[in-house]
Amino acid sequence: MKFLPYILRNVMRNKLRAAFTGMSIAVSLFLVTVLYAYLNVQDEQGEKSKKFARIVVTAKQGLTFPVPIAHVDKVRAMPGVKAAVPLSWFGGKYKDEKIPFGQFATDPKQIMEVLAEYKVAAGSLEKFQSDRGGCMVGSRAAEQRGWKVGDNIVLKGDIYPVTLELTIDGIFDSDESSDQLESLWYHFAYMDELLKKERSQSAGNAGTIFVKADSPEKLDDLMREINLKFANTDRPVRAVTEQAFRQMFTEMLGNVQSYIRNVALAVVISLMLVAGNAMAMSMRERTREVAVLKAIGFTRFIVLSLVLVEAILIAVAGGAIGVLGAKTLFAMRDVVFRGIPGIAGFYVPWSTVIFGMALAAMIGLFSGIIPAWRAAQVSVVDGLRKVV
Amino acid sequence: MVPIKYNIRSIRARWVSSLMTVIGTGLVVWASVLAFGLSEGLNHTLEVSGEPSDLIIMRKGSTAETNSSVSESVAREIETLAGIAVNAEGAKLCSPELVVLDNVPRRGNGAGNANMMVRGVTPVAKELRGGFKIVEGRENRPGVREAITSRSMAKRFVGAGLGEQLYAIDSEPFLIVGLFEAGQGATESEVWSDIEVVAQAAKRTGVRSSIQLRTNNPTDAAALTDRIKNDEQFGLDAISEPAYFAEQANSGMALKIVGRTIAIILTIGAMFAVANTMYAAVASRAREIGTLRAVGFGRMPVLLSFLLESILLCVAGGVLGCLGVLPLNGLSTGTANWQTFSELTFAFRFGPMVLAQALLLALFMGTAGGLFPAIRATRLKIVDALREI
Repeated sequence: MKFLPYILRNVMRNKLRAAFTGMSIAVSLFLVTVLYAYLNVQDEQGEKSKKFARIVVTAKQGLTFPVPIAHVDKVRAMPGVKAAVPLSWFGGKYKDEKIPFGQFATDPKQIMEVLAEYKVAAGSLEKFQSDRGGCMVGSRAAEQRGWKVGDNIVLKGDIYPVTLELTIDGIFDSDESSDQLESLWYHFAYMDELLKKERSQSAGNAGTIFVKADSPEKLDDLMREINLKFANTDRPVRAVTEQAFRQMFTEMLGNVQSYIRNVALAVVISLMLVAGNAMAMSMRERTREVAVLKAIGFTRFIVLSLVLVEAILIAVAGGAIGVLGAKTLFAMRDVVFRGIPGIAGFYVPWSTVIFGMALAAMIGLFSGIIPAWRAAQVSVVDGLRKVV
Repeated sequence: MVPIKYNIRSIRARWVSSLMTVIGTGLVVWASVLAFGLSEGLNHTLEVSGEPSDLIIMRKGSTAETNSSVSESVAREIETLAGIAVNAEGAKLCSPELVVLDNVPRRGNGAGNANMMVRGVTPVAKELRGGFKIVEGRENRPGVREAITSRSMAKRFVGAGLGEQLYAIDSEPFLIVGLFEAGQGATESEVWSDIEVVAQAAKRTGVRSSIQLRTNNPTDAAALTDRIKNDEQFGLDAISEPAYFAEQANSGMALKIVGRTIAIILTIGAMFAVANTMYAAVASRAREIGTLRAVGFGRMPVLLSFLLESILLCVAGGVLGCLGVLPLNGLSTGTANWQTFSELTFAFRFGPMVLAQALLLALFMGTAGGLFPAIRATRLKIVDALREI
């Protein structure tokens, strides 16, 4: 500890070099943090969803096959089910937005029992329930488009051959970041009526059923029972946890994980070389000093540690800027880009921050090893004689 | 000009430090090119998928076949319209098709599931796909649960290999009897079977997803498009195939933006590292710089010389990075096409444009990173510099 001032002074000796090494690590680790945060957010959201004890029921063949709306009542009647609602992706076009946001047909009576973590202003749920052409919008969706209660929204169907004309009855919000906050809920009955008028084959499709169970412990049994109940019908289903449902979308992206790992690995190795190079340059300039240190009695171990700690300090300082910078940036700013699933409501979880800082420390350690070892090996006589 | 030989020898004299810089920038370029090659591969697949004289007919308002439905009777009416090309046997090149998605496991541990596109077709469909040919096995027979698919799909999905049983849509399997090629386009991401077999399996009898047809010439195409679009009874839309696939390139856009962002951030990071190396080079060669100046080289040649050295290091790294990705060229991969909600298989593609972009990145790293150190070199006073030890 008493060597800290000496180490700090060494760090600051060549300010430009320390700053550049630090910035190189900061910028690159910013990227690695954001990439890993993408993976960690999926895991964290999935993990968090466990406590809500929800099950998602889709058609056995996946989301593009219909789930008859009659299934919802049948599921509701099953023991262990607290509430169940259809949640059907409309995927309509809003104004000239290229990529559709979440627009879900649902049952206003039970939606807030199933998605219980969301809050609305007093009275607006009742208003929504009694207003057939009404909708509830997430706080982020409203913020991004400047929507207010009472505004009218027109959504042109792409999957469904109907156009929805909706009035905003309320805005829902939650304490924690969630992708639902970028979406909108409206009456399933309203859409179905329009579809029936069109004599569309898509009428009566619940899309998915979100089920709230009595307790998290009973999820496995309940899923098995739901699967069994519809196994021998025309429309078999697959019941999965909300976590597994989310994971399905990340899986569809393909081997993103291995891609992110490869990029991160390349970046980390590159940073080790770069920081190690800078450290080696510093040590070359200080050969004589190291010899003096040894001449006055510093052990090899201390010399080695001094250099290692210096390298780690620089890397951790740079890493802190990059990693915490990413954390702050995404805490303050919403990501509006919707080209990738799971990116709505993006943030940097603390687990990623810890991971990023650990990477920084590791980069520092590895970048310091060779210069430190070399310093420890310096022979006093040669070192003192050396003209740099 | 200071001879380049001077720079090359300087790089060699400090080879450990030079090598580290080269590998460091090389890795950064490698990671960037990987992203570029991915997005180039995806775009290539969608670009080669369309034939300008071919039309896709879908329900009005649908942007993808998977979202569209056309009743069988309307589909038959479409076939009777004028302007549709005929083949050698006199049959109209008009193909009603039914696409169905199923969530099917990919091969490999932890590779997850993806939505596979199964297309129900009639024999005429093949003639509407440029470069379509069976390369292994045989064609599927109508009315039987047989299917054909591409080589890349055979490698990618469980049960999609030649002679294997593919469990899709309902509980019965499809026997894969042949593998086809279709000019590297989006068709190579599909499994084909007989339209009635698919309709029955998916319980979608009486409907089609889309109709694909070939017109004789652009005039006919325009006339037919108008005829179909303006018929209120149909409620359909006709668009040319290239336009259809261009719309789908939206999915590729996301990948492109992400790739570019990664490359830009990494390049900035690498710039700092290069600057470090070059500052050290300038500092340790003060005496040499003084000598150069003393023997008559001006400030500009010295500046250019150091800039050149920095660029040399980075371009060497860039070349290394490009060489590093070449083994991955043509490697088949896949991702979700969010427009159709199904898996699109494609191959990494490191074409000349991608490699040129990579080298441009390296050039930028070298120039931006080397500029300030090079300026410092020109600012050294000759007398002081010569006195440095």
